[in-house]
Parts: sequence; structure tokens; C-alpha cells
Amino acid sequence: MAEVSTTLATRRLTIAEALREAIAEEMRRDPCVFCIGEDIAIPGGWGGAFTVTLDLENEFPDRMLNTPIAELGFFGAAVGAAMMGMRPIADVQYGDFLFLAMDQIVNNAAKMRYMSGGTVKVPLVMRAPIGATGRGSQHAQSMERCFTGVPGLKVVAVSNAYDAKGLLKAAVRDDNPVLIFEHKLLYGSKGARAESQAVDATSDIPENEYVVPLDKAALRRSGSHVTILGWLLMSHYAMSAAESLAAEGIEAEVIDVRSLSPIDYNTIGTSVEKTGRVVIVEEGPRTGGVSAELAAGITERFGEYLLAPVSRVASADVPVPFSPPLEDAYRPTSQRIIAAVQKLLSR
Amino acid sequence: MEIEVKMPDLSTTGGELTVLKWLIAVGGSVKRGDVLFEVETDKATMDVESAHAGVLKKQLVEPNATVLPGDAIAIIEVSQVRPAMAAVAASVPPVEANRQTTSQPSESVSGVNPNTLAASSPAPPRAGMFAENRAKRAENATTTRSQNEQRAAAPRMLPAEISHDQLAAYNPSFLLELYTRMVRIREFEEGVKYLFLQGSMPGTIHQCQGQEATAVGVCAALRDDDFITSTFRGHGHALAKGLSMDEILLELYGAASGCCKGKGGSMHVGNYDKGMIPAIAIVGGGIPLAAGMALAFKMQKRDQVVACFFGDGATSEGAFHEGLTLAAIWDLPAIFVCENNLYGASTRVNQVTRLNDLADHANSYGITGRTVFGNDVLAVYEATKNAVDQCRSGRGPVLLELLTYRRTGHSRRDACNYQADVEKQAWFDRDPIRLLGDALTKHCDVDATQLKEIRDEIVAQFEVAVERARSAPLPSEDDLITDVFA
Ligand SMILES: Cc1ncc(C[n+]2csc(CCOP(=O)(O)OP(=O)(O)O)c2C)c(N)n1
Ligand SMILES: [Mg+2]
Repeated sequence: MAEVSTTLATRRLTIAEALREAIAEEMRRDPCVFCIGEDIAIPGGWGGAFTVTLDLENEFPDRMLNTPIAELGFFGAAVGAAMMGMRPIADVQYGDFLFLAMDQIVNNAAKMRYMSGGTVKVPLVMRAPIGATGRGSQHAQSMERCFTGVPGLKVVAVSNAYDAKGLLKAAVRDDNPVLIFEHKLLYGSKGARAESQAVDATSDIPENEYVVPLDKAALRRSGSHVTILGWLLMSHYAMSAAESLAAEGIEAEVIDVRSLSPIDYNTIGTSVEKTGRVVIVEEGPRTGGVSAELAAGITERFGEYLLAPVSRVASADVPVPFSPPLEDAYRPTSQRIIAAVQKLLSR
Repeated sequence: MEIEVKMPDLSTTGGELTVLKWLIAVGGSVKRGDVLFEVETDKATMDVESAHAGVLKKQLVEPNATVLPGDAIAIIEVSQVRPAMAAVAASVPPVEANRQTTSQPSESVSGVNPNTLAASSPAPPRAGMFAENRAKRAENATTTRSQNEQRAAAPRMLPAEISHDQLAAYNPSFLLELYTRMVRIREFEEGVKYLFLQGSMPGTIHQCQGQEATAVGVCAALRDDDFITSTFRGHGHALAKGLSMDEILLELYGAASGCCKGKGGSMHVGNYDKGMIPAIAIVGGGIPLAAGMALAFKMQKRDQVVACFFGDGATSEGAFHEGLTLAAIWDLPAIFVCENNLYGASTRVNQVTRLNDLADHANSYGITGRTVFGNDVLAVYEATKNAVDQCRSGRGPVLLELLTYRRTGHSRRDACNYQADVEKQAWFDRDPIRLLGDALTKHCDVDATQLKEIRDEIVAQFEVAVERARSAPLPSEDDLITDVFA
């Protein structure tokens, strides 16, 4: 793929480390870049809820703004600063708190450019950790769907450290509001035993600079029988399903959708034309998800290539439950992906 | 009996943990609560307490070894077997064991590295991940503590005792009841802490050790049919409002018979029939709700009130301003209880407000506001009683700021390295349970044995509750889709 670097020198980083490195590099490069959020800049402290900004206060004491618990306020302030030429990176501790900042994101950040007849710029990056991890209904939602249908916003989702770094850097340099979704089970290096079902999302990060474009899906595995689309944790589960399916002689092509708005229908279309069968995997309720948009978009554009209706694997239409067996039943699994593929191929 | 000590899940990003040093030597004796070893997590160095009393038989890992949560790291020969605890430690691996899990055992995906860089090797050990920054980080934390010490320096003259005159107004059985309720909260939270450290609690927990007097003092001034709203730090509020240790523990274990059928969890405990809606884990989220609940009482001409608990951090949210504005203009029977424990997560209150007294917010809404010493359960009770009277007679709402302190990290994964030592000490000296206990022994006809008996009985009840909760049936997959609509 185009974004691949050819240098040999690499380091193995986690998503949290890769994001941290990307933020530091962008802050070094451009004095207008700053971070704003809760518990992000207490010396020797947390580095935000998931360590992403850890230690950055050492190098950038004046550009790490520790805020009160006031999401509407500081997201709005970030939009304001962006209009006046700064390039803020605003984060929420859990994606669920984006709803508190919704008005500033949706009514202001996303619409300024259009309402001003193309004169105002809002170069704003927003970061939000999502996914169900044993914390109950209000610290667990997957709410990409609430933002992908907002014209004027770009939405990406990072599933490994390489993308995390490259997409964050691209987002900082973009002149539009970009919302980056990150998954709580993917931040660290070895979550598998710490949090049930965590996977390894570390990558070898090149020493030299790179960005990952904001509008490109990533082909993770080639196959000819079926296309599996996923993002965040689900792209990993899709990979593991594909490995199991290969043992049965079913070759699945796996695409990490990655860019949730705009959607890269070129990459997806090429695959659909080849396989004619699509399974979309989404953590989050089945109804009204990004997968619904993908299914409709694929059907409109590539309907004549489809050998079977597009199939979805998603969560039940319920809030995220707390109890471990309920949460396990809520979150799609590799088994359910495998079953969906088998069913689709048996049609 | 020998018990295997496992590494607790103290990392926020699911990473490895490094055992930095042992604080108890092999052969040394250990009390419950003694610091057993120091660990480096993905963001800080923290002390890990022993959940067991006995003799340290073996250290299974060397200093600087990197381990994962759940790995066995030591063996303790326990002297004093706490039945429930022993059962937990001896026989049961982490929660997975009694889950009817639908998940595949290994979701680990290798070679998923997308960028098709040279074939990616499995992640190498990351021992001492932060070694290079460890010293700097420790130094930074010291800076933060000393800044917080200065922030604490604008002294509030808080009494270090409850006086005879205060006690004289109450009959001893009432005072003992308040004491018992506070001890119930303390022992519940301490017990849960050790269960978490043993790896037997799913999820994360936010605890309230040190803040027992706010929950108990407020709820003691309420009737059974009054309501409360609470937060992610809600176990104490729930116990004070009359929920049982059983129903809360069952909920923490995700049991089908928990107070929210396992659907809520630690951050959402509640029981409508006992006057507590599920706790709200969104900071400030309960404040407008409380206004609405009080509005309903007023419209229906019911003489109930609602007490709305929230932290100092919540006063920065728009919901606080909007909720109080509504309650004020409609004279609603709502008591807004701000538990000012001086920190919102890792951020000290003075860093996020210019006010000294958060009760001064009341002025902007034209309502009554009072700042009260929140570790004095009688002061809290009295202030709440007055507020309740005011609300029931149609002259609400009231904002109460209760000054208190959390004797524990924000959540169990917080090393809490930002609280200044002098500040901690000043508050520990004013521990709410100690304050009332000392006053009772000094001024009333109560002796230390009696207080110990209260505690022992609660501990025994807790252990029974743990055993029940651990073996209680979990919800089944069919329960996933129930309870969405009325
Ligand atoms: C809207 C919202 N923002 C952020 C958080 C993350 N968070 C949970 S608790 C907390 C600190 C709350 O502080 P405070 O209100 O003082 O309550 P305390 O923890 O001291 O009881 C934060 C930032 C949240 N739960 N909700
Ligand atoms: Mg607080």
C-alpha cells in the first residue's frame, strides 16, 4: 500500500505510544498544535484516561491544557481556537462523553465552513476511546454512527499503532474537523489476559515520517470468496475469523474500513467486484449503524456484482450491559463472523 | 493454608506490569493491608497491599520482572483465614472461571500488522517500559504533590473532634446507628478493594473510603420514600440509603440477582423501591434529573424530597448550572449535595475554579448555599435536616458543599500520587469514623469493645455476602435483550 515506508529501522509501539509520538512530533513541528482535555497534563500524572499524553507536559508545559470537567466548554473552546488559527487536539476520557460536547461538534465545528460560504477553517482533531470493557452502559458505547452522518466532519478509526500514528498526523494537518475513534482494548501491548478478548495491536513503526491518508480503507488480507469489512476491534476479530475459515478452504478478504467518513468505496468496490459477497462486522447495535450505511452504499454502487444480499454481524439493539456474560454476548465474536460467512456462502 | 497471590489488573491499557521491589521479605509476616510489593503500571508506580495476613512463603518473581494480570507472584501461608477471602484466593481463577462465556478463548491475532512492513515479529518483552522516564515521572509527581500542598495551604479550620455539646442533642442509639452505617460502608469498600486486588471483581471500581459521613449524614436526614441520585462512586450512597450489602455485591459480580440484575454494575447501583435510581456515571448527569424528580414531587403535591450527590468536579459541567437554575426558579424540593473531596480524578479543585467555597455557586442561582465539614456526620446530618425542612416547606432548593477527602485512588487503577502527604495526614486525622468513634467513647457511655463488636459483625456479614455473591447465577444470554423497553 502506498503509505508503507521502506526504511528498515522500526520500533514496536502500542497504539497509546504511537499516538503519543504522533502528538509530540506534530507539536514540535507546529507551535499552533496544542492538546486540551481532562487529566492530560498533571505532572507525573495519568496522561489522560488511557496514558496517551503521558509525560508530554515535560516538553510542552504551555501547550497541554488541563481542563475542568466541562466537555461542552472545552470542545467549544477548541473550535473557537481552531477558527483563529490554532490546531487543537481535544480528547474525551471515554467516547460516551462526546454526547456532552455534541452541540459544539455537530452544530458548530462541522458546519462553520459551509455556513461561512467557504471562508472559515476549523482545523480541529478530536479523539475518543470507545468499546465495551466491563464498565457498564455509560462507559462503553460505540458511537461512530452518530458522527458519520454529519456532513463537514471526517471520521476515522484506528486499529493498530501504525495507523494510529499516521492517521493522527494526517488529522492534525487537515484543515477540517477530524474525529478519531480509538478502542480501549487495543491501546496496550498485551491486553489479552488483562481484559478478556483484548488483542495485540502493536506495530513496527518506522523511524522516518509518514502519514496515513484520512480517506483510504486498508486491505488486511486477500481472498476471493467473501469480503469481510470491519474496523477497530472488529477488524482484528475479522482477521482471526478469516484464519479459521482458511482452514476450511474459505478465503476471506478482510478490509479495515478505517475511514468511516468519507468511506473509501474504491477499495471496498474492488473487493466486492471480486468476491460478490460481503459481511460487515460492527461493535454497536445493529440498527442504525455504520454497517447500515456501508450495506446501502455497496448495494447502490456494486449491486450487480453481489451474489447474495449483504450480511451484517453486529450487537443486539440494547444498551451495553455490565455483567461479563452479557457483555460477551453483546460484542460480536469471531465465531459469529465465521457463522455469518458460512451462511452467506451456503446461499 | 497456602494462598497464591496473583498480580491484580492495575493497567489501564491492558499491558504488562513490572514488579519493582518487594517490601516484605521471604519469611516475613504480613498483615492485611500491608504493602507487599511496588509495581510499575503503564502510567505510574504504585504500592500493592496484601489481602491476606500470614507469612510470606515465596516470592515467585524477581524484582524488575514483567508479569501480566492474573500471574501468580507470591505465596502466603495464611494465619487468619477469612472464609470468603480464602475461598476466593485458593480455588478460583479470575472471573472467567464462572462465566458461561460465549467468546473464543484466544482472540490473539498475530501478523495482523497491516503495513506489510518486514514480517512482523511477535511483540518483544517490554520490561521496564518506562524505565527511562521513571525517575523523571517520580520527580514530576513530587512537584504535583508540593503544588497541591500549597494549594491546600489556604487553610480551612476544620475541627479535629466532635464536641460533647454536639453529641448531647442526640440519643446514643441514634449515634451508634450512624456509626454502624459508616462502618458498614468502610468495611464494604475495604472488602471490595481486596476482592479487586485478588482479581475476582470484573470491571473497575470507584470507592469512597473517607467519605462515609457525607453519605450517612445526608441519608439519615431523609425518609425512606425520599430519593437520592448518585455517581460512579455510589456504593456508600447506596448502603446509606438502605440497599443491602448483598444486593450491591451481587451487582458488582454481575449476578442476575443483583440490584440491577447485573446490567448496571458498580457504576450504576440503585434500587428504585428504596429511593435510589441507578447511579449516573456521567459527571453532573444526575443534577438535571434531580431537578426533574423534585419537579414531579411538586406537581403531584407529594412531600418527598430528592438529595442529589455529585463531586466537586461536576460543578464545572453545564448540567450543574442548568439543573440548579431550573430547581431555583421553580422552588423545587431538591438538595444538591456537592461532596468536595478536593479532587476531580487527578486534578485538584483549585486548578479548575476560582471559588474558595463551592457553596458560593448558590448565589448565582439565588438559593441557599452552605459549606459544611463533611467528615463530621452530625454536622452533615444537621445541615441536611435543615435543608430537608426547607424543601418540604416549599422553600427549596438548597446547595450543600460537604468538605471531605477520598482516602483511596480515584479508581483502583489510580496510583493516587498527586495527594500531598500533609494534606492526607490532616484528613486522616479527621477520618469520619474515627471522629465519631472517639466522641462516642469520650463523651457517651460507649467503650472500644462495643465499637469493635459492631465492626466485627459487619465484617462477618460481608464475608457471608461475598460467598453468596460469588456463587450466584450470572445472567444468561437470553437476558441480553430484556429490559430495554417498559
Ligand atoms: C461527563 C464526564 N466527563 C468525564 C468523566 C470521567 N470522570 C469520571 S469521574 C471524574 C472525576 C470526577 O470528579 P468529582 O466530580 O469531583 O467526583 P469524585 O470522583 O471526586 O467523587 C472524571 C473526570 C465522566 N465520567 N463523565
Ligand atoms: Mg471530587
